[in-house]
Amino acid sequence: MAEVTLTAEAERTTGSRASRRLRRAGRVPAVLYGHGMEPVAVSVNARELRSVLSAHGLNQALNLEVAGTKHLVLARELQRHPVRRAVAHVDFQVVRRDEVVHAEVPVVLVGEAEAVHREQGILEHPISSLAVRADLEHLPAEIKVDVSRLAIGDVVRVKDLDLPEGVTTDLDPDEPVVTAVPTSVTAAAAAGAEVAPTPAQEGASAGSGGEEA
Amino acid sequence: MLMPRKVKHRKQQRGRLDGMAKGGTEITFGDYAIQALEPGWVTARQIEAARIAMTRHVRRGGKVWIRVFPDKPVTQKPAETRMGSGKGNPEYWVAVVKPGRVLFELGGVPEALARSAMERAIQKLPVKARFVARAHQEEVEV
Repeated sequence: MAEVTLTAEAERTTGSRASRRLRRAGRVPAVLYGHGMEPVAVSVNARELRSVLSAHGLNQALNLEVAGTKHLVLARELQRHPVRRAVAHVDFQVVRRDEVVHAEVPVVLVGEAEAVHREQGILEHPISSLAVRADLEHLPAEIKVDVSRLAIGDVVRVKDLDLPEGVTTDLDPDEPVVTAVPTSVTAAAAAGAEVAPTPAQEGASAGSGGEEA
Repeated sequence: MLMPRKVKHRKQQRGRLDGMAKGGTEITFGDYAIQALEPGWVTARQIEAARIAMTRHVRRGGKVWIRVFPDKPVTQKPAETRMGSGKGNPEYWVAVVKPGRVLFELGGVPEALARSAMERAIQKLPVKARFVARAHQEEVEV
């Protein structure tokens, strides 16, 4: 894994007003903790943080330089502004190179599920990021799932994932990651019914479970 | 239309619409979403109108998730009534929406179709809102 260095300034004033001033000055308030050390309030340059995390993802181990001391850290708990999406705060957790860490790794779907699209079905991915355990050397940036061979009714479960060596997950192996589900259109076609929904069907209210168009 | 099955109290105070949404600001189920950019009350009728606009435009395929629920009763006094004599009758239901809140999600359709469907749905809403996509949401922006 490539070494990435980020410089942080220590001794920032805590509190919402001071943090707001920091953000206006182009810095992101952060906290450094882990392995029994006292938490230290720090701040990092917003542009540097963006370039590092955009290039390497959230699961990249960083060398955080604080007042001349280097700490090996992982960025955790990225807090964002709900509208602007700018990072408002970040946690840096100190880790050791040889220890097993927990991380959330994004699940990326690759390929086109043509059989599903042909039959007007859709792909649902209830697990968009997978909680894994691995040491820093083996921590993947993303987990790819090939969906090109999926047909309606198929399910990719946690046990079907091709996890890299040294990576494990505590999730239930039968937990679905991607499911190819039929929509009302598919069901109607299967039943030989009218495809266009009737006004009464359209007027039906939708629950939180979602509604097929 | 969406409304609670039963409530503990029939009438509520109006409350304030300060600040940003505390939760429900990320795309969770679908691939695309409508995100509110200003605070307001969205009525059950408006939610239904937006849903219908979206589903009719998408026509076939796709799935819609409604991420807000109108659980706040709004009361009104009858027309030409003198002031006083207590609070009016519950007339309709609203969802309290603050900036950043995801209102609807859509999945299983191409981005261009999702965008045009959601832009139609936004026209039915009383708050400024925008189209967002999961692919752009997960980019690391500072």
